Order: sequence, then C-alpha cells, then structure tokens
Amino acid sequence: MKNILAITLVLATVVIAQEAIPTGQELVKKMSEIMTQENSTAIMTQTITTSSGKQRTFEFEMFTTGEGEKTLMRYLKPSAARGQAFLMLNNADDIWTYFPRTKRVRKLSSSSKNQKVQGSDFSFEDMGSGDSWKKEYVSENLGTEKFDGTDCWKLQSIGIPEQDPSYPKMEVYMRKTDFYPIKINYFDESDFIEKTLLMSEIKEIEGVPTAMQMTMENHLEGTETTMQTLSTTYSWEPPVNFFTERELKK
Amino acid sequence: MIKNALLILLPIFLFGQTNFFGYFESEFDQLKFADQTYNYGYNKLRLDFEAHPNDAVTIGTNVNVQKYFDNISWNLLDFLPSDIYRPIFQPEGYPEEMWITEFPIALLDTFYLDNVYLKAGFEHFDLTVGKQQISLGTGYAWNPIDIFNSKQLLDPTYEQTGVNAVRSEIPINGRTSVDVILSTGEDWKESAKMLQLKTGLGRFDLHGTIGQYTWERIVFDPTQFLLSIQKSERTLIGGAVVGELAGAGIWLEGAWNKLENQDDFTEVVIGTDYTFENGLYIIMEYLRNENGVLNKENLDINNYLQYFMGETHSLMQDYLFGFLSYPINDFIQFGLLGFGNLNDNSAALNPQISWNLFQDVDLTMMYSHFLGGDNTEFGVQDWGWRIRLRGYF
Repeated sequence: MKNILAITLVLATVVIAQEAIPTGQELVKKMSEIMTQENSTAIMTQTITTSSGKQRTFEFEMFTTGEGEKTLMRYLKPSAARGQAFLMLNNADDIWTYFPRTKRVRKLSSSSKNQKVQGSDFSFEDMGSGDSWKKEYVSENLGTEKFDGTDCWKLQSIGIPEQDPSYPKMEVYMRKTDFYPIKINYFDESDFIEKTLLMSEIKEIEGVPTAMQMTMENHLEGTETTMQTLSTTYSWEPPVNFFTERELKK
Repeated sequence: MIKNALLILLPIFLFGQTNFFGYFESEFDQLKFADQTYNYGYNKLRLDFEAHPNDAVTIGTNVNVQKYFDNISWNLLDFLPSDIYRPIFQPEGYPEEMWITEFPIALLDTFYLDNVYLKAGFEHFDLTVGKQQISLGTGYAWNPIDIFNSKQLLDPTYEQTGVNAVRSEIPINGRTSVDVILSTGEDWKESAKMLQLKTGLGRFDLHGTIGQYTWERIVFDPTQFLLSIQKSERTLIGGAVVGELAGAGIWLEGAWNKLENQDDFTEVVIGTDYTFENGLYIIMEYLRNENGVLNKENLDINNYLQYFMGETHSLMQDYLFGFLSYPINDFIQFGLLGFGNLNDNSAALNPQISWNLFQDVDLTMMYSHFLGGDNTEFGVQDWGWRIRLRGYF
C-alpha cells in the first residue's frame, strides 16, 4: 500500500513537472505574443562597428503593422543616407527602396533579402520578416539555462527547407519570467554561429517589454551593429495606404 | 533670378521648419584620345533647403554652384570619329589651311537653382508644382519611357536636373496609383503631357504610360554651318513590368513612339539582377532602340549631337550594359562596370572603387578602358580615369 502511494506521488510529480515545462511551440507562441505587436513606430540609431573599430552611426524611423508583416524604414541621418527608405511587404518577401537623390524607386529581388541594410549586421529579413519565422521553423525546448545571470528557456528552432527560412538553425534564450528573448544565436549551413543578437535595457513601454538596445554580433566578419531605440510607441495607428510607394517617397 | 527666388523663399525657410543639407563634390578626370589628353575637373556645391510650413506641405529648392578647372575648352571633333567630321570640316580637295580643326565647346561655370517646388499632400492625392526632378521607368541604365532624362552610362545613378512641371500622384489603393505630369512648354502643343498607371500583380509591378509632347532636337546644317532646332510631335505609349524569377530580379520597359513626319520607333530595355550570399551583386541590361542608327556607315554628325545633348537615349540600336559590385569590407566596395555597342563592336570597361572614408565622405576612383576601332562610338577614346570626392552635410 505504501509502495502504491509512493509510486502515485512520483507519477503525480512527474505529470505536474511535465505540465510546467512548455513545449517549443508554446514558447514560440508566448514569445511571439510579446514580441510582435499589431502596430509600432520607433526612432532608432544604428551604430556599425567594424573589426578595426571604425564606427558609422545612422538614425532612422521605422513603422510596422500587421505584427511586422509590413515595415517602412526611412533614414534621417547621416546626410549621405538622409531620405533613403525601404518598404518591406509580406514579411520582407517584397522590398522596394527609394533613393532621394535620384527620386527613383527600385524593387529589390528576393536574392537581396539576406543582404546587409546600409552595411549593418542586420539583413532586410532581420528587419522586416515580422513573425514569419513561426511557420518557417520547428522549435524544441532544450530546457533551462542561465544567460547573463538570468534564468532562461533555451529554444532551438530548425528551419523547414520548403519554407525558405532565413537561417538553417536558431537558438533563443528567453527569460523564464516573461518569455522575452535576450539572446539569439543564428547558425549558418555548417552549424557555426554566424551572428548573435543580444537584447538589453528591457523596459515596459505601454505594458509591452521592449529592448531599448539590440546588438547584432557578426562572428564571421568580426563586426557588430547596435540599434538603440530613442523613442517608440505601440499605440500608433497607420493611416490608410500608409505602406505604399506614396509614403516611401515622402 | 536666383537672388529674387531666394528672397521670396527666405521667409519660408526662416520661419518654417527648415532643413539645410547638401554636398560638396570635387572631381578630377583625365581622358586620353589618339593624339589628345584632356585634364579637367570641377568643384561643386549643392545646397538643399527644405521647409515644412505644416504637415502637408513641403517647399524645397537647391542651389548648385559648379566651377570647372583645367581644360575647360573642349574640341567636339576629338569626340567624333574622323569619318563623321572629316567630310564636313576637312573635306577632300580642300587645302589644309582651309580645314576647320576646332568645334569648341566651353565648360562654363554654373550657378543655378536646380529644383524649386512646392509639394502638397491632400487626402486623396499629392500635388507637386515647380521645377522638380522627375525620374520615370524601371531600367537601370536606360529608361525608354523617360522623356525628360538621359543617363550617363558611366554613372547611371547620378542625379538628374529638374523639370518645370505640375505633377499629381493619386493613390487608388495599396499598389495602384495614377501619376499625371504636365511639363509646360511655350504652348499646350509643346507641353509634355503624361499619364502613368501603376499597379501590382502578385510579385510583379506593372506600369502603363501614355505621353505626348513636342520633341526638340538639335540639327546641324553642314552646308550653311548653322545649328537649328527641329520640332516634331511625339506620342509615346509604353509600359514596364518588374518582378522576379528564381530569386533574380527581372524587368522589361518599353515604349512605342509615334512621330510626326518621321518613322515610328520602339525602344525596349530588358534587365536582370541577382545578389549572391557573399554580397556580390550583378546587374545586366540590354537596350534595343530603333531610334538609333543600325549601321555605322549611316551615322552622321546630327546623330552624335542629339545623343550628346541627351535628346535620344542611344546613338545606335543595340547595347549591353553590365555592372557587378562586391563589398571588400563595410566601407570599401569594388565595382566593375561595362557597356558595349553591339552594332559597331565597341565597348568600355570600368573598374572602380568606392570608399566611405569617413561618415558622410565618399571617395570614388574609376579607370575606363575603351575598346573598338577609331571610328566607333567608344573606340574613339583610348582610356580615362576619374577621382571623385563627395562630402555630405
């Protein structure tokens, strides 16, 4: 009788423990809920640091809607890039760029999606793919791991080749407290960590945890790009036909 | 004129929310011909003013000051194949003392307002009135539907000068819009009228264009040594498709042109581009311009003059253009540009380096090597190089 009770208790503990460990897909869902808001607008700086320590700083405004499905970026500084703008639709599958010096709009082919935006370590896909990765990857919870003193869930996402994922594999470290990611490793085809994204200075903006600083380290080239959010809001409502060529050229 | 315009605009720029920006550019070129070398260059200051009296209105202008140096007096004959100019200027049977060996062209210092316009954003359309840059078409090196501009093949992305026009861009829905352009001439007949419909279909953008204007071309009369302007009514019906195939960008831009007192002609550009994983970017374009001359033997000085003046997009009919660029690092870009005239078998190859020296300071160095016989479009030159320094503010 005692043995039966002990076995029952052990089984119950295992069941409770299993219920408390979220699956990979549940983690993705939780993370997606706080990371992708319906609309957002922000003014940000982008500082590129080369392997030799040289820096270039850009400032841009960014507008998103449809949980990141549509993105419009316009450079404000420096003077050389002023007015240059990108319109990304369908999670950056369609990209148009506007050059103010020539007043021309050019459509970029999808082969340029994974290229650097203004020489930074962020690609067009990094900037404008929204939450498309939910359907491009199969995710698995690898358990608990500490990063920078914070208890995290470690999530591994393997790209589904038919969905044309940006990276073959990703590892996400998300805070256990609110499922906010603080570190993402992006792997290349040879399973080498190509880039690492670090999210810091996380503040509550209109009730939404928001990383005010994001640093992308490029391990292949020894460069890094830091994006600092100067101001942001999620209560912005895009005017009708905002994500069009008309706004791109403003 | 500039002083008056600036006096009128000054209060707006002083009391509106005004941005000042622009660039300084210094360029030095050397061009080598068979028996001539041209050293020349310029220093240019472009100063842009942009005021926003309110959220819906933008008033913009830019002042350009360009001062040339070194060889500022060019001889047009150096740029022409000898079998084009000799029958006119150095005809057989005339004593050499009577030959004309110079057709001078001066590079004059300029100080002018390039663009000066007001753009108002209404709820259902945008309206831009004044001298403004109008760039039409999707092609990179050539734009058959662009009746306002002609690009330099060595530098196809250089800014174009402004056009006096009234332009209204009317969005219909997300990817569909109508663009109406009226560039005023001396009268209605001479004014350029254009209507462009843009829309999207899946991964493709589609443009349809119809335009009508008086086409002005320079004509040299060799019997009287007089230059005059020839005018003809031109109606253009054109369009463009831009999309992609297997990750590569593809585009087709074309126009059928109906002319008064002259044969109709068609001009078509087809192009493709691709960016490789390592950042290598390649773009290729082919131009077929029936307004050009098919056989070299049929070229005359007016074909050259009209091409040099930008009145036609090409001298002959069939051309290839290619450009590849590769980022050596975050600040240095290597480029290789090439273009060829398929009708006279001449070409140019142009390796170049673009270096972002400091924030807002770019240095471009390029070498040009010209291939082809002495009596061909590009073979008339041997080689050249260019250094351009541009600092933005």
